[in-house]
Amino acid sequence: MDSTSRQIRFTLNGRPVSARVESHLDLVDLLRRFDLFGARESCGQGLCGCCTVLVDGVAVSGCLTLAQLVDGKSVTTVESLDESGELSHVQQAFIDEGAFQCGFCTPGFVMMAHELLKQNPDPNETEIRDYLAGNLCRCAAYPEIIRAVRSAADRMRPA
Amino acid sequence: MRGFELVHPASLDEAIKLLDVDDPTVRPFSGGTALMLMMKTGVFQPSILVHLGGLEAEHAAVAVTPEGGLRIGALATLTSVEHSAEVVRVAPVIPRAMKRLANVRVRNVARIGGNLAHGDPHMDLPPVLSSLGGAVTVRGPGGTRSIPIEGLFSGYYETVLTRGELITDVTLPSQRGWASAYLKCTTRSADDWPTLGVAVSLKVTDGAIAESRVMVSAATEKLTRLPSAEAVLKGANAGEDAVARAADAAAAEAETIDDARGSAEYKTELLRVYVKRALGEAIRNGAVQ
Repeated sequence: MDSTSRQIRFTLNGRPVSARVESHLDLVDLLRRFDLFGARESCGQGLCGCCTVLVDGVAVSGCLTLAQLVDGKSVTTVESLDESGELSHVQQAFIDEGAFQCGFCTPGFVMMAHELLKQNPDPNETEIRDYLAGNLCRCAAYPEIIRAVRSAADRMRPA
Repeated sequence: MRGFELVHPASLDEAIKLLDVDDPTVRPFSGGTALMLMMKTGVFQPSILVHLGGLEAEHAAVAVTPEGGLRIGALATLTSVEHSAEVVRVAPVIPRAMKRLANVRVRNVARIGGNLAHGDPHMDLPPVLSSLGGAVTVRGPGGTRSIPIEGLFSGYYETVLTRGELITDVTLPSQRGWASAYLKCTTRSADDWPTLGVAVSLKVTDGAIAESRVMVSAATEKLTRLPSAEAVLKGANAGEDAVARAADAAAAEAETIDDARGSAEYKTELLRVYVKRALGEAIRNGAVQ
């Protein structure tokens, strides 16, 4: 055990957990130790959004987050979205609109779309583009993704 | 990345004490978005990172000063600055620039103090904040001092901050009567680091430009003010002729540098075009009331 590692406790998708964490470990690699593979490291530079997770309710790039710094915090990953047994409105909208091909970037887009709709329940196309500008889809499903976010906004609107 | 020690001071004084050592591998760490890239590529291998997150409660507030300017705590996230009602009212150019600064996740964690202290000439906020006449308050082992942001950078990734000094606040004077704009040009992809950043602020009285600040970044080794462009603007009518002559003066004056984003010659031409556009946009935006 490296001398710079330490024991941390945090809340992971609503459950208290603890882990022994090396100083240089990032949050994406920590999540892998809990068998959570939805946040993926792709660019490793905070540019692509594939590793989007929430820390204390704020969207961050897991690849730029030191794992030791989530000590005492609450971490939420894409795996939390269907814990009820049903897909979230955003997830269902992505499927219905065909908003992906390979799916590698999808968890990041879904997490960011949830954050956008939390802050702005009725975003226009420009607002969607601005908010998701830091998420890259190499299959270029952008038109379908924008439609899916609009569709999710409609589904989430109180009747 | 290699292992290092992550320490968590509970006060600013404790942080300054921890950083007051003759060892470049001991560094402050706030949002970490820039340092993590350097650590992942091995450009920077820390022995100790002094994490400033514990000081957030006292050093992240955004407030309007009695003079009508702004005081922004160094640990304010870029997102909190972007969405601050005070910032939107006093200096609307800042939230406009934020839209294309990195992305939502980076802005959620990056801090305004770290953004300046990092000394990266490609950052968007140094030209914007310096064109607004901004300054940083700095605290260190020797006490507190104020540094104008236009004088904060001494070279490529170098600042005038000395051992143990931390930026505690960013201050801006009242912007009443000033019109501002920031434009950047990315040459490789829309979300690339800028090849050129141009920030301008103008004080227009009765249709004539009384005062101006013209700043360039990214295309030069460090943030650079362009006094010859400002001299052309002084007293001129805020119209196309003065704008074109100021753009030529800027291009003649700035020492642009070659890099992977373009040659110095190319960037000089970009500068000519972007100074023209930025001045035009500032005039169209009109003065802050």
